[in-house]
Amino acid sequence: MDQKFEGTPKATLRVEGRTVIRTAVTNDWGSQLLWKITRGGEPVASVNARLGESYSLADAAPGQYEVVLQIFKYENYAKDAAGKYTVSKFIDVSDKVTVTI
Amino acid sequence: MLHLGDVRVPVCHGVTRRSFLHAGAAGIGALSMHAMNALEASGAVNESKAKIRNCITIFLVGSPGQVDTWDMKPEAPAEVRGKFKPIDTNVPGIQICEHFPLMARMMDKVALIRSLHHKTGATHENGQRWMMTGHDFNADSMKPHSGSVISRVFGNNGMLPASVLLPWKIGNTGAGPLHGQTAAYLGSAHEPFYLGSDPSRSDFKVADLSPPAGQTELRINTRHNLLKQLDDMQRRAENGPALSRDTAYSRAFNLITSNEAKQAFDLSQEAETTRDRYGRNTLGQSCLMARRLVERGCRYITINHFDTVFGISCWDMHADGGGLNNTYADYENLLCPQFDWAYTALLQDLESRGLLNDTVVCVLSEMGRTPQLNPRGGRDHHPAAWTNFLAGGNIKGGQAIGSTDKTGARPQNNPIEPPQVLASIYHAMGIDLETTMMPGPGSRPVRLVEAEPIDQLF
Repeated sequence: MDQKFEGTPKATLRVEGRTVIRTAVTNDWGSQLLWKITRGGEPVASVNARLGESYSLADAAPGQYEVVLQIFKYENYAKDAAGKYTVSKFIDVSDKVTVTI
Repeated sequence: MLHLGDVRVPVCHGVTRRSFLHAGAAGIGALSMHAMNALEASGAVNESKAKIRNCITIFLVGSPGQVDTWDMKPEAPAEVRGKFKPIDTNVPGIQICEHFPLMARMMDKVALIRSLHHKTGATHENGQRWMMTGHDFNADSMKPHSGSVISRVFGNNGMLPASVLLPWKIGNTGAGPLHGQTAAYLGSAHEPFYLGSDPSRSDFKVADLSPPAGQTELRINTRHNLLKQLDDMQRRAENGPALSRDTAYSRAFNLITSNEAKQAFDLSQEAETTRDRYGRNTLGQSCLMARRLVERGCRYITINHFDTVFGISCWDMHADGGGLNNTYADYENLLCPQFDWAYTALLQDLESRGLLNDTVVCVLSEMGRTPQLNPRGGRDHHPAAWTNFLAGGNIKGGQAIGSTDKTGARPQNNPIEPPQVLASIYHAMGIDLETTMMPGPGSRPVRLVEAEPIDQLF
């Protein structure tokens, strides 16, 4: 029997200086949870967000960064020839916040 | 209306023994108090010497690769060590996969067994039979699930069955129907209670705890009385052989009518934050249900993480591009995080409620996976070496028992076989393996397992 994820995971982010702090995720599916950091729309890092409820950009180079919390949404295990999921994907579970260094 | 004894039977509504059993076909049973007392008197079971009362087993159907999870080989060639990196744990010298970061913080509670192996076929079913029963067997010599053994030895506590299997029995894993999840010769009275439904779903309900549509409690009581009389008559006629079925009927009836049983399976009574902490998925909510069951006196819970290996994301990482196309992506994004989240929630929750000292949590699987990556980047079946682990109760955590060679292909020291794991659980639960015998085929007394406990675990 394949897994079916129901409901919508949600979390709220706030910025304190160079640190982003999240609430607990409601309706948490328990799958991979990531801090996704971008700069000018380009990916900078994806970091496991299960280890704590904050992420620090203290060591980042000066600039403006966008941070969002993402969770893996499993629909099925179908993949293309390159091994990429064709349906399952990461989705945002928070609003994006901006951190200026 | 037909009269049998003093029970009036509404025959036009098709009241049959089969339909009643369908309503409560859990087939749960237990050793009578008389028999339990006899076992205690003989010294075969001494609950006062038991170090643990309960056992929760999470069975990772499909089998994680040892080199990708709990026995990493970072010094091995790339085609062996694979994609993932090891991380330190809170026990110096023990590293595990980077995708178990929460478990890494609790390693002091966990005893890894890194030298498990078996010498029979490299099918899922061989490994399931070994790890569920402590034996390999064929259809002519079936052996009982470890939960059925516990049911037979200890009986149940209150209205709940001694052994519950969540959420589904193992189905098709490729090589036949013998998965070792039945009571076998112990009889229907000791079948595990099979939940048969996904506790993470919003439409979840336990079918066997709900009377069939249109059946009132009064009618069920009438049926119960009728069945009791029929069984009394049959027992008198057959001099006892109806006992197993009678016990099964009683357990089914108790489950249907027991508020205690219904509450144990009702996850809506848990705080939303608790349900989130376990993870809103089949494994997470099954782990939460296991904790509720232990709290209410159920002694042996088995959680199957998946009921098949075909067409789903599971541990069977062949990467074959077809029906067995699990890859590193499934491990990284779904399986490892889901396990890490649920497993650590269970240990923390049991500990915070004072239950971890009485409960051993076992994480078992059928076998390991080939050290060498296959041409598609997956790993195939490998029963020659794998890692499982235990925590809780009197298990000495923070250690790795046994080890494998440089590629994780073979045990290097202290090789451990599956029956030793079950012998360890039985021993910790206060069962004397030398004197506790099961009524085997033809009522011949047989040992529970042909193995001794793993001393280093305790």
